[in-house]
Amino acid sequence: MPGDLVSAQFDVYRFDPAKDAKPHFQTYTLKLAPHTPLLSALLQIRAEQDPTLTLRYSCRSAICGSCAMRVNSKSRLACETQIGPEIAENGRIVVEPMRNQAVLRDLVVDQEPFWRQYDLIQPHLILDPKKPMPEGRETSMTTEEVERFKETPRCIACAACYSACPAVSVDPGFPGPMALAKLYRFVVDPRDTAHQDRLLRIQPGGLWTCLRCHLCTEACPKDVRPSERIRDLKEMAIAVQGGTERGSKHAIGFKNNIRDRGLLSEAALVRQTSGVAGMIGQLGQGVRIYRKKPEILKKPHPIEGLDEVRKIYDALDTKEAPP
Amino acid sequence: MGAGLSGQRAALAAVLAGRDVAVVSKLHPLRSHSGAAQGGINAALGPEDSVDTHIYDTVKGSDYLGDQDAIEYFCREAGPTVIEMEHFGTIFSRSPDGTLARRAFGGAGFPRTIHAADRTGLALLQALWERLGTERFTLYEEWDLTKLVVRDGRVHGIIAFDRKTGEFEEIAAKSVVMATGPFGRLYGRTTNAHSCTGDGVAVAYEAGVYLKDMEFVQFHPTLLLESGILITEGARGEGGILRNAKGERFMSKYAPHVLELASRDVVSRAIVTEVAEGRGYSGPWGGYVHLELMHLGREKVESRLQEIVDFSRSFAGIDPVTEPIPVYPGQHYMMGGISTNGQTETNIAGLFAAGECACVSIHGANRLGANSLLETLVYGKVAGVAAAKYAETAPQPEMHAADLDAAVAPLRAWSSRKDGEDPATLRVDMQKTMEQYVGIYRNEADLLEGLKRIRAVKARFANIHVVDQSKVYNVNLTDALEIGHMLTLAETVVVGAYARTESRGAHFRTDYPKRDDAHWMRHTLALKGPQGPVLSYSPVSYTRWDPKERVY
Repeated sequence: MPGDLVSAQFDVYRFDPAKDAKPHFQTYTLKLAPHTPLLSALLQIRAEQDPTLTLRYSCRSAICGSCAMRVNSKSRLACETQIGPEIAENGRIVVEPMRNQAVLRDLVVDQEPFWRQYDLIQPHLILDPKKPMPEGRETSMTTEEVERFKETPRCIACAACYSACPAVSVDPGFPGPMALAKLYRFVVDPRDTAHQDRLLRIQPGGLWTCLRCHLCTEACPKDVRPSERIRDLKEMAIAVQGGTERGSKHAIGFKNNIRDRGLLSEAALVRQTSGVAGMIGQLGQGVRIYRKKPEILKKPHPIEGLDEVRKIYDALDTKEAPP
Repeated sequence: MGAGLSGQRAALAAVLAGRDVAVVSKLHPLRSHSGAAQGGINAALGPEDSVDTHIYDTVKGSDYLGDQDAIEYFCREAGPTVIEMEHFGTIFSRSPDGTLARRAFGGAGFPRTIHAADRTGLALLQALWERLGTERFTLYEEWDLTKLVVRDGRVHGIIAFDRKTGEFEEIAAKSVVMATGPFGRLYGRTTNAHSCTGDGVAVAYEAGVYLKDMEFVQFHPTLLLESGILITEGARGEGGILRNAKGERFMSKYAPHVLELASRDVVSRAIVTEVAEGRGYSGPWGGYVHLELMHLGREKVESRLQEIVDFSRSFAGIDPVTEPIPVYPGQHYMMGGISTNGQTETNIAGLFAAGECACVSIHGANRLGANSLLETLVYGKVAGVAAAKYAETAPQPEMHAADLDAAVAPLRAWSSRKDGEDPATLRVDMQKTMEQYVGIYRNEADLLEGLKRIRAVKARFANIHVVDQSKVYNVNLTDALEIGHMLTLAETVVVGAYARTESRGAHFRTDYPKRDDAHWMRHTLALKGPQGPVLSYSPVSYTRWDPKERVY
């Protein structure tokens, strides 16, 4: 229900490559009810003040994925963001285009890299000609099998996760959270016959680049929780491949280090991940680190209370992780 | 043209027939409005159900304006269509026995609505796009359609511009499938996306294509009060009930047998009547009634109506698990559109149409819930097959430089003016007019006034002004193009509504409150004339079901 109107200041990123040498911010002010969606506010600016303000939008109900942008530095859907809490927290609303995609104009970004990563994970059922679909009827699927998809079918491909992902910004070859959540959706699909191939193919340069920062899960407007699905993929990848891939060796080495001593032995982790030959390859970097931090070569003493740490591991190893 | 479910299904059929296919859309295909469909897709797959019952329900729902031969084909294709989409990878909700789960929907004799929670459109759109992605075709993403090129009674292609560069191009084609979806943005209070502006329908009409039954506008009973966001009929299918401000379950007066699950036109009129007669709630956004889900329990509401829960929380600050949802009807679906026969052919050789932009007619005077997703897929496929077959023997299309110049010249004029009418203002004026004068309850005086006002806005459009001079992603230019298209269509809606002096399905005339089969069991056809739409009429095809009074 409507409250009093608030004076809302919008600092909006503007850039038209046809006439601007570099981007700038433009300030607009409106009097609005606090529950007004940001998209409505931006459309009101377009209608009343500046029809050149450029953005993508369509459904205004968080289902088409068009209006993702950065609002006070967070990647979100404009249609689903109420202005009141933003103003209460920041005093104004800074509106910028998504990151990790080149700006075409104002708030519109070039989504080609995002869609390319999505295409690369082969987002379609891969079928085995020897196992055809049942003729004239649906594939049988239990409710438990449907539940394995988790929230991934809710993904609207808005790219908010892609914009929030630091791994994408340092490595444009990284598939990004959306593509990996989509991959998960196919890896758990009982109709798909390429689960193993998919898991083997995604590992080099793909899966293990994820930094586990969970910014994608925080950004996702549909609660798809991409970082959790990436974690699930990592577990499945280790199960399929036996943990011999470099990224998985790093993860396993990390786990064993902590279980054995409660602390990380960085030198040991390099050996466990890359092998002795790999250590020689990283010698230069190792020497640089050693000069600043000579203790890296010492095996850390086990920490106090290591028993408690091991109890956690034992509990996790014997029980299903909580959902 | 268009890359929602109809356009994609047509493209898939045409590619599989071995043709060279381009898909042109103003949105990325996954952003199409098909994805907003919530409740489900009908197919009589249940053991107690039958195709005949689905046919009968659709005929009755259409208030006997649907073509029965087409409806028979449509309902027979339902099962295979849904199964095919399951095989393409759609993640549908399941029953405990592993089969596709079914839910109850308005106007249906049995629970026959197959669904994916309350995001069925999104589930289908993803699966179809992913299936189509394994085939070869050319995608024109974010292109705006400005003209359909027709000469000597046949199609030669289209003219469109790339939003990213502002460059116009002629795309020559032996056949064109219009699949551009709805034009619900004629109204302000609508469930339709901002992009639902009927570009393909308007462009076809300008090129001399017949439009059919444009006066039949479906108002969905339950839009979230302020924002107009759709609350699916599935919410009532799962057991949701409607109450007025006196706490009465008022549908017992209007549809004593099926209550909230009457046909949409019936429920919408009931809500409007309750509010008009003082039994609604009132607030800053006008009158409303309550949709209650609380009695269904948290588990059921949160699992089966997940998006609804999210929408209510995000857009209305309401938790449907513990509170009623404030709802009021609003525009939802256009039964009318480009006139086609059962093979999706139009009166122009090489032009086909499918989905909401087309009118076969399956839905007649009122569409049943969950029949629209089915229509997009059934007729998308028919159109793709037909367009591919036509292209096999069609002569080479010819594009003339004059075609491009003629299409570009008016848009250049909009931008080169120093001053003029603003697209946003015209849009609001049109929407207010349509809501006030061409709404749920209509009468002669209102419709005449509405027509006068729409024509006045149209006259102002002649002086439209595009302020934005950039060639890159100029949405101001798109705004102007879209309002022009919508005004063209608005005129055909009002003219059709004024001429039809009866009440049938979604078209309710308070001055002619009865259905009049003797005079009006026929389709309205609108053709562009020098002074506006010229109306003519065509018979309704009927096979087995004689018109009866429609009681729910």
